[in-house]
Amino acid sequence: MVGRGLGLLASAAIVAAAIAACKPDDDTGYVEIKTVPVAAVTLTALYLDSQKLAPIKKGSAILRQRVGTLKLQADGAPGALAALCTIVVKRNRITTVTVSVLDRPPRCQCRFSGTEPATAKACVS
Amino acid sequence: MIAPSYKSASNSTAVAGIRPATVVLFALLLALSGGLARAEEGSAPSSPVEEFSRQLEAFQKSVPDLNKSIQDSAGTIDSVTDVEKARTEIDKLRDTVSALLGAVSDNGPVSQLGVKALDHVHAKLKALSQETRFKPEERQFLLEQWRKLQEQTESATKELDDARAQFASLLQTLQQNEDFIGELIEIRQAEKAIEVIRSLTRDIRDASNQLNKLIGGIKPPGA
Repeated sequence: MVGRGLGLLASAAIVAAAIAACKPDDDTGYVEIKTVPVAAVTLTALYLDSQKLAPIKKGSAILRQRVGTLKLQADGAPGALAALCTIVVKRNRITTVTVSVLDRPPRCQCRFSGTEPATAKACVS
Repeated sequence: MIAPSYKSASNSTAVAGIRPATVVLFALLLALSGGLARAEEGSAPSSPVEEFSRQLEAFQKSVPDLNKSIQDSAGTIDSVTDVEKARTEIDKLRDTVSALLGAVSDNGPVSQLGVKALDHVHAKLKALSQETRFKPEERQFLLEQWRKLQEQTESATKELDDARAQFASLLQTLQQNEDFIGELIEIRQAEKAIEVIRSLTRDIRDASNQLNKLIGGIKPPGA
């Protein structure tokens, strides 16, 4: 019982340290990627800029990203990436994008789209 | 001449005879009358001058407090009617939720811990199923223990998923209803302002009562 308590305490300390260590800086926002149709694991490989994302589980992933504009891409022609859309990440905000993976190449649907010319074709928060 | 002198002597003898008792009685009476006089002084109502001085002093003491109270209240009302402050409160709230979401986001450290823990359990289960060092019943026992751990880790990861969804939803609510939440914060601030005004009114009423007492206590002679 005491051992279990100590174990829980240690786990809590590790999690607390992890939370403290990851306190977002001023340049952090979030991207929520939803995939349709929902699957246990989405097999389509997706990229934010050139960074390959881990397979999306249960049709949703929330990723911490630096503030700025990112390019969402998917595997296209062999050896090449197909640009799907751009995502504007704002500080402490979530930009949601839904990717229809049935389409070839996959297609982006923005929850909110930019209204200014610079972001007209981008997903914004 | 002799007689008077005798009389006088006889008187003197008589006086000398009763002196101790008289002196004690007289002293006792003096002491008693002094004590009574002092007791009367203590219970006697203070004079109008003393009463006026006391009330004036109390009022003068309360005036600086009232001034300070007015100044503080003015400052508080200034701050609670500041729209920018409402905006700052939303930003703070968003910072807090964002920090929590950052920890549990899919690429955040807590999620990574969960993934690592699950990977470790899976690796252990795979290794044990191919293990040949143990007797079958020992291996079965160890596998069962690791399967239990797997269940518990998956359950913990599921809770993490729920927390992630919750924080994300909260942050989205904050950003989608920013204007409405701002208005709610302003309403809360306005309510605070009312509390401040009420408190100030109470202070002013108290001071006014004191002033009334002070003025009412002034009774010119013969009035």
